[in-house]
Amino acid sequence: MRLRAPTVAGIAATVVVAAIIALLPFGLSDYHRSTGATVAVFFIAILALNIVTGYTGQISIGHGAFMAVGAYSTAILTHNHGWNDLATLPVSALIGFVAGVIVGLPALRLHGVYLALTTFAVALAVPQIVSNYPNFTGGVVGLSLPSHTGMWLYEVSWAVAGIMFVVAWLLLRGRTGRAFRAVRDSEVAAASSGVSLAVYKTVAFGISAAMAALAGSLYVLVNNYASPTIFGLTLSLYILIGAVVGGLGSLWGVLVGAAFVELLPLGLTSAGLGSSQSVPVIFGAVVIGVMALLPLGAATLLRAALHFGSQIGQHSDQPLGTEGR
Amino acid sequence: MTRRMKGALVLAVLAVSAAAVSAAFAAGTAATPGVTKTTITIGGTFPLTGAAALYGVIPKAESAYFQYVNAHGGVNGRKINFKYYDDGYNPANTVPLTKKLVQQDHVFAVYGSLGTEPILATRDYLNKAKVPQVLVATGDSYWGAQYKKYPWTIGFQPDYPGESRVYGAFIASKVPQAKIGVLMQDDSYGENYYNGLVQGLGAAKSKIVDVEKYDATATDVSSQIVKLKAAGANVIAIFALPTQTIDALVVITKIGWKPTTFINNVSASPLFMGLARQNGANVDGDISATYLQDTINNPNTAAAKLYKSILATYDKGADPTDANNLYGVANAWTMVQALKQAGPNLTRAGLMSAMTNMNWVNPFLYPGLKMVTTPTERFPIDQQILEQYSNGAWHPFGHIFSKAR
Amino acid sequence: MTALTAFQARTRIRPTTGWIVPLLLVAICVFLVVGSVQSSLFAQQTVSGLANGGIYASLAVALVLIYRATEVINFAQGALATFATYIAWQLLSWGFSYWEAFFATLAIAFAGGFVIELVAIRPVERRGNQLTVVIAAVGLLILVEGAIGWIWGNQVKFMPSAFAPHIYRVGGVAFSRQDLSTIAISIASVGLLWLFFRFTKVGLAMRAAAVRPAAARLVGVRVSWMLSLGWGLAAVLGAVSGMMAAASPSVLLQPSMMDGILIYAFAAAVVGGLESAAGAVIGALLIGVGLNLVSAYISWVTPQLLLPAAFVVMLAVLLVKPSGLFGRTRVRKV
Repeated sequence: MRLRAPTVAGIAATVVVAAIIALLPFGLSDYHRSTGATVAVFFIAILALNIVTGYTGQISIGHGAFMAVGAYSTAILTHNHGWNDLATLPVSALIGFVAGVIVGLPALRLHGVYLALTTFAVALAVPQIVSNYPNFTGGVVGLSLPSHTGMWLYEVSWAVAGIMFVVAWLLLRGRTGRAFRAVRDSEVAAASSGVSLAVYKTVAFGISAAMAALAGSLYVLVNNYASPTIFGLTLSLYILIGAVVGGLGSLWGVLVGAAFVELLPLGLTSAGLGSSQSVPVIFGAVVIGVMALLPLGAATLLRAALHFGSQIGQHSDQPLGTEGR
Repeated sequence: MTRRMKGALVLAVLAVSAAAVSAAFAAGTAATPGVTKTTITIGGTFPLTGAAALYGVIPKAESAYFQYVNAHGGVNGRKINFKYYDDGYNPANTVPLTKKLVQQDHVFAVYGSLGTEPILATRDYLNKAKVPQVLVATGDSYWGAQYKKYPWTIGFQPDYPGESRVYGAFIASKVPQAKIGVLMQDDSYGENYYNGLVQGLGAAKSKIVDVEKYDATATDVSSQIVKLKAAGANVIAIFALPTQTIDALVVITKIGWKPTTFINNVSASPLFMGLARQNGANVDGDISATYLQDTINNPNTAAAKLYKSILATYDKGADPTDANNLYGVANAWTMVQALKQAGPNLTRAGLMSAMTNMNWVNPFLYPGLKMVTTPTERFPIDQQILEQYSNGAWHPFGHIFSKAR
Repeated sequence: MTALTAFQARTRIRPTTGWIVPLLLVAICVFLVVGSVQSSLFAQQTVSGLANGGIYASLAVALVLIYRATEVINFAQGALATFATYIAWQLLSWGFSYWEAFFATLAIAFAGGFVIELVAIRPVERRGNQLTVVIAAVGLLILVEGAIGWIWGNQVKFMPSAFAPHIYRVGGVAFSRQDLSTIAISIASVGLLWLFFRFTKVGLAMRAAAVRPAAARLVGVRVSWMLSLGWGLAAVLGAVSGMMAAASPSVLLQPSMMDGILIYAFAAAVVGGLESAAGAVIGALLIGVGLNLVSAYISWVTPQLLLPAAFVVMLAVLLVKPSGLFGRTRVRKV
């Protein structure tokens, strides 16, 4: 089960992609830079979901809730307490971690679909709770945040995304990553070979939620506004769609997934295909089509491209199994 | 791998050339964005899909009015180009789409955008960029009240507290034995209405015997209605969204309660009253307030005929009895009037000056109402008339409540 | 046939609830009856809660049907129900009578559910896993809601009820004919479904396909057709739920009509155990009544906290019984 050592091709590809992302904003308008920043937000959120769902096998439909936790940490600290917005990011990650551990606790007792529906309930409940305490959160009126240029947003968001990518990569290739995958592949086997399910499940939720919280902080910075509506069910579902379309258990798929959920609807809207009603119809059809043609997500294609098709068979990063049928 | 390298190179070249092109464009921008010798480009965001999509007809009606104006020579020789995008009532969509309107479409002004949260989300950005955000479609009082901080934002319709102040004043003077029960949404929307009611009641505010709240996501308000009846109320003021209002009206009839009922304007559209009736509610005698032209009882006035012919020509299939369409046309009329008053030398500051110096009679508003603003008094419509429901339609009655605020 | 009957004997679903759950339910019933006798306010809240529960119930059972067959949570169930309701509305506006439109809609919904499984779900299921199918269902939700707006527009439509508005009074409590018929039709449709599964060959084959697909295949059941059939039946129940909901004054016929109801149906199905239709019905009625009573009597639960409170109850049930009130505990394999 050892993850392969980084190949030359892998490193080169990483450098190239990083260079493209770093150079891209110089060729974009300020508006498109903020769009690029939103792609980074989804990149981080989908990466976060991947840790808990793709690598540890605990399905979460509630990552929008963790984004809300981070978002409101940043919004409240900057709006009510005059903090510098960048300084709120570590706090946001910390609060997100704690929230993740708390939500992860039921995961010790609940499995599969029951856990998924519990996270789903959390996603629905958090916006309601936020609007119930208007003195603290601004309620449905929301909170305004300082605004920034598209360039600032792009650079900060992608810098955070890059750091998170490296963190995830280091985490997943080491001992922790092996333990996560052991939990995913068989809880009974993992427990009998000495992996503490309680520790690794809650840690996976904690780390994942910390990252999602950062994504949430950046999301409200990009929009310079936080309100409960933003963190509704749609957001959680889009993150899940992005993760699965990109390919669970694949770090590269995250980039594809992020671009898919942010850029495809935007592109369809801009393309002006008849009425605005056609956008959701086409988007929904594309999601179904991708699932039918690439059930393991775009990662299948990426792997084929990177390894010239030779090493796919040996790869250990199999996504969620079909256990249970 | 090499293919990827090549791809990167191509991308980098593309990126650099795109930068050059956009720089060239930026240099060529005219003094006032969105204005040429022959066109004015304006834009807004609206919920064309999602839970609030019933308001999606408004931009179509507005667009119809602009097309009508364009067909009759435009404004000072310029044709109005109105772009609108679907934000699904989600601020996370409103912000990027509004930036797109300003930065990509180079609109002269953001016009008519709908919804309190979407406006709050974009008002900082637009005011910093000094882009007019005018005639926004929401009845919250922020737009008129916070003009010092946000001078580039202005609303259109009467604000919620202003409307309920009228109900309060009416109850205080005309219903001496009132025991008032209030059904309100548990957020700033309901709070705004409630505060206005209390102010309007003045000394009579002790007549409020019970207040019941519901959450915006809940559709069933029967438990609240049952409690209001149990509290002994004989007047009910409903400050709710259409869905909950219809439910409330049906439940009131169902439990055999006959209070004097006040319904806020948002939910009092003939369409919703019809739905309540079809579900078995007895709504005759219910009271609301309006500011729009009465095109249903008086279908043959010049304004009513013009309204219907504009819809028939430029917004085919639109339902003229849907008050949202009339709202759109009345709102668009105001924009055209402001553009006219801002003169041929159109600037953003000039538009705001016109918006804050209104003294207009809008033919699509109730006869006798005037749109008046000054630089320090920024509520375009603050007069209303009460209306009572009977025989399947609203009938305005009594006098115009002026300076309701 | 004999093989099937033998199979039936072995795989009869016997909920392992023990005596605590029935006792709890009896206690709740006694509480509701005593409360209703004591106070007409309490009785009124209970009755309108039951009517809401009836709407949640058919949709919850639809979710259970699909979950039992494929272990997939069908996020598109509500949108499909809304679509069916629009079809009923369309038929009515073309001049069909209510019951003509009602049954025609059920037939169309059945065919629609069947075809959707065939066209959109089966290709995904063949190569993917549960999560892939769930994502496809989410895609279907986005697609169908968009399609409704595209075809019929977003304006609110009026969906008539089968019954003219009428109020019955018992003591201080008002029952509307609409509420009573909603409860009756929901329970009747679930009852018919139970008879179908219990007493017909196809129903038995469907149960077999759901519980032991491999064994069912051995005795000659075409498992994949049973899945399509399951989607068809679920769509029928969804259509019932949609038409009942749209006729209720608290729900307006618009593309997002079932979004809120679907959430309560999820909670109901989870509380009931996801695999038990009876559990889903009981869960739905409990949620309908419970929410009404909580908002009427517990003042610190503000309206905004009602939904979170419902989830806290759901979580509490799950933590005590991780497979819901009537769910079966599965043996975990290595």
